[in-house]
Amino acid sequence: MKVSNKSKYVKFFLMTFLLFLSVGCAQKKNDSLVQNQGAGVGQQESRNDEMDILLSDDFYDAEFPSATDYYDPLEPMNRIFFEFNDKVYYWVLSPMNNVYTAVLPVDIRYSIGNFFNNIAAPVRLLNNVLQGKISDAGVVLSRFLINSTLGVYGFGDPALIEFGLEPKLEDFGQTLGYWGLGEGIYFCWPIIGPSSVRDTFGFAGDVATHPMVYFVNDFRVSAGYYGAGRVNLLSLNPDVYEDLKKYALDPYVSMRQVYLDYRRNKVGDSALKQRSDNEL
Amino acid sequence: MSMKRLFAIMFFFMLVGWAPAVMASSGPTEALKPTLTDIMAILSNPSLAGNEQKLVRRSKIMDIAEQGFDFQEMSKRVLGKTWKKIDSQQREHFVGLFTKLLENVYIGKLEGYSGQEIVYKDERIKGKRAAVSTVVQDQQMLIPVNYIMIEKDASWQVYDINIEGVSLLRNYREQFKSILRKQKFEGLVKVLEEKNTSFDSEGS
Repeated sequence: MKVSNKSKYVKFFLMTFLLFLSVGCAQKKNDSLVQNQGAGVGQQESRNDEMDILLSDDFYDAEFPSATDYYDPLEPMNRIFFEFNDKVYYWVLSPMNNVYTAVLPVDIRYSIGNFFNNIAAPVRLLNNVLQGKISDAGVVLSRFLINSTLGVYGFGDPALIEFGLEPKLEDFGQTLGYWGLGEGIYFCWPIIGPSSVRDTFGFAGDVATHPMVYFVNDFRVSAGYYGAGRVNLLSLNPDVYEDLKKYALDPYVSMRQVYLDYRRNKVGDSALKQRSDNEL
Repeated sequence: MSMKRLFAIMFFFMLVGWAPAVMASSGPTEALKPTLTDIMAILSNPSLAGNEQKLVRRSKIMDIAEQGFDFQEMSKRVLGKTWKKIDSQQREHFVGLFTKLLENVYIGKLEGYSGQEIVYKDERIKGKRAAVSTVVQDQQMLIPVNYIMIEKDASWQVYDINIEGVSLLRNYREQFKSILRKQKFEGLVKVLEEKNTSFDSEGS
């Protein structure tokens, strides 16, 4: 049959490339750092409308902008959890990170980050499809196939470096937003951190659709996996939380605002943005 | 991985470039470029490096920043309606405090970095306002930074920095609002003064 013939070619092609890349990877390590981090920039390029959205923001137009629309009726409770997370950060996460950083060099930690991202590819694939972003879904699939093979189980990112395929980050929270669900009230969950009603459902959806759940159905393993991902992430962005604390007059409010601004931008509530995302 | 993005955003936020403008009456990008370039030059000047040069370096940077950044506009917007309730002396005092805070936050953060390259990608103008999108390239990162600018007397000045939807001004505005609600303007001034003092005592 035609199909099996084709897949033979693909296999041959991939194997050949694997050999090439095992050499190429070692040299391109530093590039990969730059490009990994720059992935978000490229995404922005594809949506020129973002600039227009920025200027049409009421916040910039009005001389005295009206009150920001967020809903945080649970603020007293959220603040308690915020303090709790703060303690967790300084007593648990930060010391763990110090050890982790001392033991593993930065290149390895980037590779581990790639590995975590690659495993979660099915989640992104699903959410691109659920938002009708078919060409983006294709990119996610290609990235997964390339990185799982040529990238040696996802530790490398040849899809980006060699093929210029940028990650298409979509999660279930964004999908719910795309479908028109409002963000609801703001939460600061213990351990997990800032969220909203929408993103809490989103997080649950992402966990439920994560491949890990099918391989190992054990809460402790999932929690350990999540924790390891968090520590690795922290090790790559060590100053972020401490800087927020250092520069904020009210760190709780500052973090809430960063979170809401960032997620709203991601979900792209504006019709203008959805259009530009959807080009096939 | 939304947490990763979130962390990245907060990080971008902290190392944002300063983007002042010169009196050039041309476009916003032309106004932004020389100021950014001058600031980067001071930051990478070896004779101005080090902790002992901190005061000289910062005053040089702030001289440039004052031209390209509209700190008055920023202060007005960050206070919101409270701005209308305070007298001119209080306003002046507040502008000074807020400018000092921004200096501590952003120059303090920028001083940790050198050799960045800034790429100007796009600009949009809407009436008296404009957005200029740039990408700051550090050794390991590409940081998309949007500058929001306002035109006054044929000169463009920055009044906000926005990174992937996260606005510097809105962030401080919400914090101030929360403090104003409980402690009024006098309380906010006190908190600001304490925050600024906390930077004086730090070693960096």
